[in-house]
Amino acid sequence: MRTLHPELPPIPSRADAVGEHLAGGGQVAAVLPVHYPRSLLRAFDLLPVEVWGPPVRDTQLGDAHLQAYTCSVVRSGLAVALAGGIDVASVLVVPHTCDSLQGLASLLLDLVPARQAVVPLYHPRVGGPAGTYFLAAELRAVYTRLADVTGRHPDDAALSAAIAREEAADARLAALLARQGSLPLGDRAFYTLARSREYLPAERFTPLADAALALPDAPADPAQVPIVLSGMFPEPMALFDAIAAAGGRVVGDDTACVGRRAYPAGRSDDPFVRMAERLVDGPPDSTRGSAVAVRLARLRGLVAARGVRAVLFLEVKFCEPELFYLPLLRAGLEADGVRSTTIEVDVTEALPHQAITRLEALLETVAP
Amino acid sequence: MKLASSLRWHLNVTVLGSAWLKWDRLRLARKLRRPWRHPHLGPPLLTSPRLKELISRHYLRGRFANDRYPVAWVTSGAPVEVLVALGYFVIYPENHGAVCGIREVGDTMAAHAEAAGYSPDLCSYARADIGAALSGETPVGRLPRPDLLLCCTNICQTVLYWYRVLAEHFGCPLVVIDTPFVYDQASEHAVTYVERQIEDSVAVCERVAGRALDSRRLQRVTSRSKEAVALWGSVLQCGMARPTPITAFDAFIHMAPIVEMRGEELTVAYYRALLAELRRRVDRGIGAVKGERHRVLWDNLPIWHRLRWLGELLAEHQVAMVASTYTNAWGELAELIDPARPIASAARCYIHPILNRGTGHKLATMRRMVGEYGVDGVILHSDRSCKPYSIGQVDQRSRLAGEAGVPALLLEADHNDPRSFSEQQATTRLQAFLEMLAA
Ligand code: SF4
Ligand code: SF4
Repeated sequence: MRTLHPELPPIPSRADAVGEHLAGGGQVAAVLPVHYPRSLLRAFDLLPVEVWGPPVRDTQLGDAHLQAYTCSVVRSGLAVALAGGIDVASVLVVPHTCDSLQGLASLLLDLVPARQAVVPLYHPRVGGPAGTYFLAAELRAVYTRLADVTGRHPDDAALSAAIAREEAADARLAALLARQGSLPLGDRAFYTLARSREYLPAERFTPLADAALALPDAPADPAQVPIVLSGMFPEPMALFDAIAAAGGRVVGDDTACVGRRAYPAGRSDDPFVRMAERLVDGPPDSTRGSAVAVRLARLRGLVAARGVRAVLFLEVKFCEPELFYLPLLRAGLEADGVRSTTIEVDVTEALPHQAITRLEALLETVAP
Repeated sequence: MKLASSLRWHLNVTVLGSAWLKWDRLRLARKLRRPWRHPHLGPPLLTSPRLKELISRHYLRGRFANDRYPVAWVTSGAPVEVLVALGYFVIYPENHGAVCGIREVGDTMAAHAEAAGYSPDLCSYARADIGAALSGETPVGRLPRPDLLLCCTNICQTVLYWYRVLAEHFGCPLVVIDTPFVYDQASEHAVTYVERQIEDSVAVCERVAGRALDSRRLQRVTSRSKEAVALWGSVLQCGMARPTPITAFDAFIHMAPIVEMRGEELTVAYYRALLAELRRRVDRGIGAVKGERHRVLWDNLPIWHRLRWLGELLAEHQVAMVASTYTNAWGELAELIDPARPIASAARCYIHPILNRGTGHKLATMRRMVGEYGVDGVILHSDRSCKPYSIGQVDQRSRLAGEAGVPALLLEADHNDPRSFSEQQATTRLQAFLEMLAA
């Protein structure tokens, strides 16, 4: 348990959440990044716990199967799985987020057996009716697979109830993001709360978020330089100490694991179609192949709404989805007079010193 | 203006270009009739000058295509038949990337992209292509500007991000045909999804082309695609003969029409001629490698910038590279193409290429090819900037070497970027592998 603010209830750790869930008779699903249907898993009483390459230093077990030019999230994800780090999970969900994760899903199913049931999930790269149709059908197939693994068969009412809980939690996440930078929480505390969505059940996250949203705004500190964060995910968390030390403050988020997962509510009464709509209609994202212009428009919107003049991109080495978009996004921002820099992270390593230098340089150029 | 562009086309393509290419073909054919003196390689294929003419003609037409045709840039595994039936001139940036690699300017092109901020870790085809688009440089003279982009994800997801960049750069419509990954058999909902997308794409393609799709023409084009794919499969199967009349190095070059000109009559005619020549060679026992002693299978894309070097190194050791999973990918799906149901069958066919299937399927394909082609060893090109083809190779190699008892080598390189290749290191590893084959 951790306390983020004196007026907030303590926030459970991953281990607490998993322990409580197992004690209640539920099961755990380890999930690789990025998009997946939380409500479908929850309807089976599976607690999704995301594996974004926990801070492992030893990736040898993954390196024995994957070339060094595979991104560190995938290599360390495999290392963790093979080292028994997710043995608590009975299911391993692998979304086809990129070529590397697609390859990993296949590797786990075909050549390097995991200890869990592996459930791959293909996320459509086209939106609209065709994408929704496909994803709804795909989710029905995942339902069948989960039913085989868990022996449970949640009905439509149970699915709809789970969807309602997740929609409520996502609405809270969106509300938190809308007030990012003005809530009386430092960046570390804010992201600890927002990212607890990666392991807390919706019914635990929602009251925590409500308590945070009930806090009054903190007065803005004119000495702090507001920035927007983009890229894959805000790791390592030591980054926020570096941002604070350099006089910065994150006031907007476009990272794949936080801001791009504030999914809207679905529209359909069919639970599978509704789950599909939520994922297909999510904020623009590189891993779903959104158009450059749409992604840029969202970033520009964030920048304008928060009065920001600097964007920090946190990218993982070898991450194709992000790295293709980066030059055009940065050029678009530059054209608006918004400065940006990129920090390349490897989830198996500490924040490189060079990253801190870049960050300081970025903040200096836009400091008042 | 129209008259001027029409005159330009006729003068440059129909009159001067054709005459020059024909003259060059005859000149090369004459050269090939001279006695062949290479110490290790068998005589070159007599159809090669015709291939050169075909490809040069394609790029020559490309230079002036914007004056005359709607132009589409498409991914190599895209369902191209609708575009061909609508009269598009089609360019394959990956093929152009390979041309850059063969001409040893892959890194120069990539450098233009890197200077604009594109990471050197991205696919080297994509970097070469984006670099060419940004700089306007190309070893083929000039690439026509696209009116439409068509991206199919059946080879990788990377192409989608790459084409998003192109769409932004050229400001033209992008059609995405998304093909879900196939683990065992494609699910019906996946096939329906692809079929719906192809159907939906027709309206965009028609609008850009300014004409309606003629269903009989689409059937004819599909029929030619099927025939060419089947012929290409037969061409590759000639590699099963001992000695093999064709190596995978030849196939890497001769695959250009099946990738770039599927659906065209000239492609069918070309592969008919190539197949006839290979069959004659088989009958006469003419091998592509002199004194062939060992046979190997190649996995993954070629190392375009070292094709000749590697071919000669292997031939020197009397090793023939008789097949590759890469060239095979364009020859194995002919039976799924049904000209009577061009769109529905395209959906089923284009979802199934090896790159859209699991690592276990690729291992099974390699095992099958090892048996069919009588292979003594496998070289798996671990391609730094092509993750989709490379992930899984570590275990595929150990399964081949362990369970199947076939010597297998993981060779580190990059298909188009010579900066990610150490000739010295590769030579050492290859020599150790060749010694193992000889033992
Ligand atoms: S960081 Fe990028 S390359 Fe790595 S798993 Fe995530 S999306 Fe794929
Ligand atoms: S990543 Fe590989 S499959 Fe994709 S375009 Fe590049 S070379 Fe081709």
